[in-house]
Amino acid sequence: MVSKLIATPPPHLKRENTVSQAMRDVVLALIPVSIVSIYFYHLYAAFLMVVCVATAVLTELIFRGAMRKKHTLHDLSAVVTGLLVALLFAPTTPWWTAVVATVLAVGVAKELMGGIGWNLFNPALFGYVATTILAPWLAFLSRDLAPLSPNFGSLDVLTQATPRAMLMQGVPLPGYGTMLLAFPGGALSETSALAVILGGAYLLYRGHINWRIPVSMIGTVFVLSLISGFDPIYDVLTGGLLLGAFFMATDWVTSPIENKGKWVFGIAIGVLVAVFRFGVGATEGVAFSILIMNTFVPFIERVTRRPSFSEPKPSPAGEDA
Amino acid sequence: MELKDIKEGEGKSFEGGAHVPHYKSFTDNIPISRMAPPAEVIIPLQQHVGASCDCLVEVGDKVEVGQKIGDSDAYISAPIHASVAGTVTAIEARPHSDGGEMDSVVIETDQEHSEFVPQETRDPDEMSVDELKEAIKEAGLAGMGGAAFPTYVNINTDQPVDTLILNGAECEPFLTCDHRLMVEKADELIAGAEILMRCIGAKKTYLGIETNKMDAIEVLATKLEDRDDFEIVPLAVKYPQGYKSYLIKTITGRDVPRGARSAALGCIVRNVGTTFAAYEAVVYGKPFIERIVTVSGPVVPEPGNYIVRLGTPAEHVLREVGVDPDELEGHKVIFGGPMTGLAQSDLRVPVVKNITGVLVLPPDMVREDVSYTDCVRCGLCVERCPNWLYPNQLSILAEHGIYEKLEDWDIWDCIECGICAYVCPADRPIVHFIKRAKPIVDEM
Repeated sequence: MVSKLIATPPPHLKRENTVSQAMRDVVLALIPVSIVSIYFYHLYAAFLMVVCVATAVLTELIFRGAMRKKHTLHDLSAVVTGLLVALLFAPTTPWWTAVVATVLAVGVAKELMGGIGWNLFNPALFGYVATTILAPWLAFLSRDLAPLSPNFGSLDVLTQATPRAMLMQGVPLPGYGTMLLAFPGGALSETSALAVILGGAYLLYRGHINWRIPVSMIGTVFVLSLISGFDPIYDVLTGGLLLGAFFMATDWVTSPIENKGKWVFGIAIGVLVAVFRFGVGATEGVAFSILIMNTFVPFIERVTRRPSFSEPKPSPAGEDA
Repeated sequence: MELKDIKEGEGKSFEGGAHVPHYKSFTDNIPISRMAPPAEVIIPLQQHVGASCDCLVEVGDKVEVGQKIGDSDAYISAPIHASVAGTVTAIEARPHSDGGEMDSVVIETDQEHSEFVPQETRDPDEMSVDELKEAIKEAGLAGMGGAAFPTYVNINTDQPVDTLILNGAECEPFLTCDHRLMVEKADELIAGAEILMRCIGAKKTYLGIETNKMDAIEVLATKLEDRDDFEIVPLAVKYPQGYKSYLIKTITGRDVPRGARSAALGCIVRNVGTTFAAYEAVVYGKPFIERIVTVSGPVVPEPGNYIVRLGTPAEHVLREVGVDPDELEGHKVIFGGPMTGLAQSDLRVPVVKNITGVLVLPPDMVREDVSYTDCVRCGLCVERCPNWLYPNQLSILAEHGIYEKLEDWDIWDCIECGICAYVCPADRPIVHFIKRAKPIVDEM
C-alpha cells in the first residue's frame, strides 16, 4: 500500500492569484506616471525612485532581520511602498528626506505594526506625512548632508509653483485638456492625471481594487467643490486626489473590507479633503484625509458589519418570531 | 417555458460564491456504466447523519445481495444492506474516508449471485403514502449529495410542505454523476419526484440545474413540456450553488434562517441521485446498495460515471479505471468533489452512501508544500462567502487561538464550502482553520 499520497485538507483547487501578483500589477500600474515624471524631471525623478525603492527593500530586510522573521521581499509590497513614497514627493526633495520617509513607511508603519496585514496606516502616506511634520527637526540633515546631494543640472519646471498653490493664489491654470494630460509642478505623481487614471483603470480591470472607494471619494470632492463654488474639474485633477483615490485609499490593509464600509470610507475622505482645501486652505489635504480615515476603519467596519445570510430577519410586527 | 433563451453559464443565482474551473469534460459525455463488484466489500455500520446501526449478522453468515445487515431503533438513522452476496468474514474497525476507523461489516463477494434481481415491480400510484415512506425507510436512503441525512426522516414531516426542490446543480468541479443521471434516467427521476411529492404533500417541483448541463435541461424540458407541477430552473454556474440554503433562496426567494429545517420553510430539497434511488426503492423494492460515482482526473485512463457497490474499496475503483494504486506517489485521491471532499491516505477506505466521486489529482495539480502568510485584508473571502461571513476574521481568530470570539463572528453559520481558501491570495487555509476550531468552540 502506498503511503506517499498527499492528504492535505480541502479545498484541493486554488485560484491562481497571489499577493505578489497583485503587487506586481500595482508596480505596472505606476509605470505610466513614473515615465511622465521622468519625462518632466529627468534624473531628479529617477533618482528619487531608485533611492526610495532601495531604502524600502533594505529597511524591510533590517527590521525583519532584527525581529528574527523571514523576509517577505517576494511579495513586492516593499517595492510598491518605496515607489509610492517617491511619487508623493516633489523632484527637488532632498534624498535624505525621502530616505527618512521610506524608513518610517516600511519600518515603522508596516514592520513594527506586525508586517503587511497588520498596519493601521497606509505606509507610504504615513512616511510622507511624518517627514512633512518632522521637517523642522530634520533640518540638521540638510545642514550636514547638503554637500552629498547630486547635481542633475537645472530644470525650469523645478521652480514652478504647484497647481494647488496656483489655484489657491488665483493664478490661472492651463486648460482642462492640459491638466488632464500632463502638467509639471508638484509631486512626481501629479505630473499626469491621465497616467494615474490609466494605472487605476488597470487595477480595476485586474480586480485588485474596488471601484466604490475611488468613485465615492472623487465624487464627493467633485460635488462639494461644485457646491462651494470652485472648479470641480481642477479639484479632481490636482493635489494628488487621483493618486490617493486609486492607489492609497484603496490599499487592502487600511481600508474597510466590506462594500458598505468602502462607501462610508470614500465619502468621509472626500468630505475631509473638501474641509482641508476649502475650509483650511491646506495643500496636503488628500494625504491627511486618508490617514485620518485609516484610523476610523475598525470603527467603520463595526457599524457597517453585514449580518450573516443565516441571521433570522426580524419578524413583521404582530407576528411571533 | 422560456428555456430556449437561456445561454450556457447564465441563470438564477445567489449573492456570493465564485466561478471555479469545471473540469467536467473528462466525464460529462460518458454514459453511466456498471463497475464489477470487488472481491470484498467493507460496509461501515454508520453511513449517515444520526445513530449508528446495530449489526444484524455474524461472522460466517451467508448473506444475499440487498439483505439488511444493520439497523437501529433510533428515529434519525437508516438501515444498511449487503451490497453483494457472499460470506461475512469480519465485523471490525476498518479505515474510513472521514479519517480514523469505523466498525464495519466485511463481506467476501460471491460474484455468481451478486446481481440484484427485483422480486416484483410495484406501481407507486397503487401504494399509500405510508407504504411509499416505508419503502424509502427500509431501503436505507440517505442524502446522496453530501450530508447523508436519512431521507425518510426528511420526508416524514407533519408540517405543510408545498414545494419539492430537486438539486441538480452539481456545482462541485469534476463531478458529473447527477448530470448523467438527469440525461439518461429522466423518466425515472420524474417518477421519483412524483413519489417524493406525494410523501410530503408538495404541489410543485422545481428542478434546479446549472446551465453547464444544457443537455440535461433539454431532455427534462421535453419530457415536462405539458406539466404545470414541474418547473426547470436554470441556475448560473457558480460554486456553491448546490448547497441547500442557497438553492432554496435562489429558487423560492425564501430566507433560510439558522436552525430552521427546510420543512419549516415549506420546501424540501432532494438531490437527484436520492430521488432516483427513491424511485428504485419504491418500484423495485431495491435497497440502497449501489450508487453512481464519478471517477475522474487528468491522469485516469478510463474516467467515467460508474455504478459502484457501496463498500467498494478505493483501490478497487482505481484499478477498474486503469489506475495502479501503487503508482500514486505525490498524487491526491479525493473522495467527493475537489472543493469539499477529503484527500485519502489509505486506499482501503470504502465508498459509502454520500461519496459522489473518486478523483485522482496528479502532482502538478497538488501543492504539497503550502506556505501561507498573514491576512492582507484584500476582502475577496468576504465578497465571495455565500453565507456573508467574515472568513478573514474567523481565520485570524482561529489561527491565534482566540476561540471565545469565534461565535461573535458566526462560526456556526460556516458551511465549509472552501470558497474562502480558494480565492485567498495569501494562501491561507481559512476553512481548515475554521473546521479545526469548531470542536474547540463547541466544548467551551
